[in-house]
Amino acid sequence: MTSLTSLSQTAIPPEDEALRKDIRDFLEKATAHIPASVRARSWYGFDAEFSRELARRGFLGLTLPKEYGGGGRSNFARHVLAEELLTFGAPVGAHWIADRQSAPLILKYGTEAQKRYYIPRICSAQDFFCIGMSEPNAGSDLASVRTRATRNDQGLLLNGQKIWTSHAHRCRYMIALVRTSGGPEDRHKGLSQVIVDLSLPGVAVGPIVDLTGDAHFCEVFFDNVQLNEDALIGVEGQGWEQVTSELAFERSGPERMLSSVVLLDEWLTFLRAEGGRDPHSTRLAGRIMANLAPLRAMSVALTGKLARGESPVVEAALVKDLGTTLEQQIPTWIAGDLGSRLGNDVPLELMAALKYLTEASPSFSLRGGTREILRGMVARGLGLR
Amino acid sequence: MSSYMDNSFADALQQILTKECTPRVIRQIEHGDSCDSLWASLEESGFPNAMVPEEDGGAGLSLTEAFPLLELCGAHALPLPLGETMVMRALLSASGQPGRGGIQRIEAGHELPTDLVNLLACVYSAQLSGALQTTFKLTLQYANERAQFGRAIGKFQAIQHQLSVMAEHVFAARMAAQMGCSAPLQQLSLEAVAVAKDRTSEAAQEVAAIAHAVHGAIGFTEEYDLQLYTRRLHDWRCVGGSESYWHDVLGSALVSRNGSALDLARAVSDVSWSPA
Repeated sequence: MTSLTSLSQTAIPPEDEALRKDIRDFLEKATAHIPASVRARSWYGFDAEFSRELARRGFLGLTLPKEYGGGGRSNFARHVLAEELLTFGAPVGAHWIADRQSAPLILKYGTEAQKRYYIPRICSAQDFFCIGMSEPNAGSDLASVRTRATRNDQGLLLNGQKIWTSHAHRCRYMIALVRTSGGPEDRHKGLSQVIVDLSLPGVAVGPIVDLTGDAHFCEVFFDNVQLNEDALIGVEGQGWEQVTSELAFERSGPERMLSSVVLLDEWLTFLRAEGGRDPHSTRLAGRIMANLAPLRAMSVALTGKLARGESPVVEAALVKDLGTTLEQQIPTWIAGDLGSRLGNDVPLELMAALKYLTEASPSFSLRGGTREILRGMVARGLGLR
Repeated sequence: MSSYMDNSFADALQQILTKECTPRVIRQIEHGDSCDSLWASLEESGFPNAMVPEEDGGAGLSLTEAFPLLELCGAHALPLPLGETMVMRALLSASGQPGRGGIQRIEAGHELPTDLVNLLACVYSAQLSGALQTTFKLTLQYANERAQFGRAIGKFQAIQHQLSVMAEHVFAARMAAQMGCSAPLQQLSLEAVAVAKDRTSEAAQEVAAIAHAVHGAIGFTEEYDLQLYTRRLHDWRCVGGSESYWHDVLGSALVSRNGSALDLARAVSDVSWSPA
């Protein structure tokens, strides 16, 4: 059972903090030309060339071992890097999933051959990965997935469908959660994860336009897609355990509280300019910071736990819920503030960033585990029977 | 935060408070009975001098090391100003005037010099953190034990969500309170204190409301202990500046400087690294 005093204020080691200057120097120049409304897309912004440039500078695969092309650095180094990327609104969407969870998954559960093949490709931004989990009838109830991979003489034959897969139309590979034995009534048993080369015959990918007008997530259909045996990650039937172990990483990062920070900084610039400051806005800015600062501290504390080999699944879930709530409050509150200023000229880029984040904000508490699911987990993890 | 030294001080204070600051004693003192014997126990144990330098007869604890003790004052709803006394004696000692006795309880609305307000905000943030934890534990226990419709009420999703929201406030408030107490007593960071009192005060109102919602009518009685904690959550929210006061301080700091929101968040949340 997780204790209420489990998170303590944690220091970032100086050698990892030192990375901040390098990445900031690069990002100041590299993002200077990108308008705020585009940078507001944050870690969903897809730019393959940007990802490759980051890779060339050694900023991809920071925590992966050097022998596989990684940086051999600590979780803290990646944390520092992630904070900077998010605060600049750098378009990291292409490699984000691969770097954050696909490579660590393959490192933990994969064969030597899989590690030697995929991890260097991830670290060099040569190949991008997406996550195949949700299906039309399996969202929060992920264990009820119906996509099947059945054994045949060439390996595994894949049939089924995934949906809400971000960037599938621009990725080379998907890591898909599939059923390899039993039926839906077996729940968590009989599930496995497979690496699917999306260029194989039988794969069809269709982007879905979202309400902001972007089309980053997709439906993906598998019609007798032939996978080799080496597509399987780890042991058959281990899928649920693998998915669960990814969660502390996936949910604990700075991207679960900094998705609206480009808008926040644009608004602060507006307040600091001539005629922008007023008591209500100042109080609101304080309110936002009073929530953001402890969240940031909790996120560093979580990174500390990961660095010590712990798996703070409950704490990551509660920090994600708090973080995404703040991410949603920021555009709502800023809109209220700007709406109270009938006399002021509000910069166009600030309005455009606000518009995008207002529209996108419902997704913050849906992606990576919905609020309602997370809250049930948190309550049970803290001792509710 | 978990060195041998502060665990053993915290354990010792926990034992004293568990034994002598019971809900019964709290009620007696609130109803006007003498607090002399409880204060005498605390004096005898040395805790009022915990932050006084060792050469002046104290334990020489820093504010960071004393944080668990301040939390315990809140967790046990101690109706005596041990927290304030600890910090005031440390300051008096530093200025060459050893202190004796406790100090007057500060009521909301009294005018105080700003640096004293900052100090109190720090102390009350830590106490709020402790009281928030106790309020959560009581509510968790109730949800596990109270049965309606043939099952513990904690089985209902609505109750689980309320408890989760409570827990989120407890965690965030505790981190904020730690941040407020992470500098030396005489070099408090105004922005860190602002975050601490801000976030703990915001949490106090939400947590108190949810606790009473989950407890139903029994939690509304004088006899049930919940009110000993929720009344304090509301009181301490307002002492040393409620969240609005500190929003203004923090917001002013943010708007007056250049630099990103992340950079101010880092400035108030970073602590120095020391090897394990």
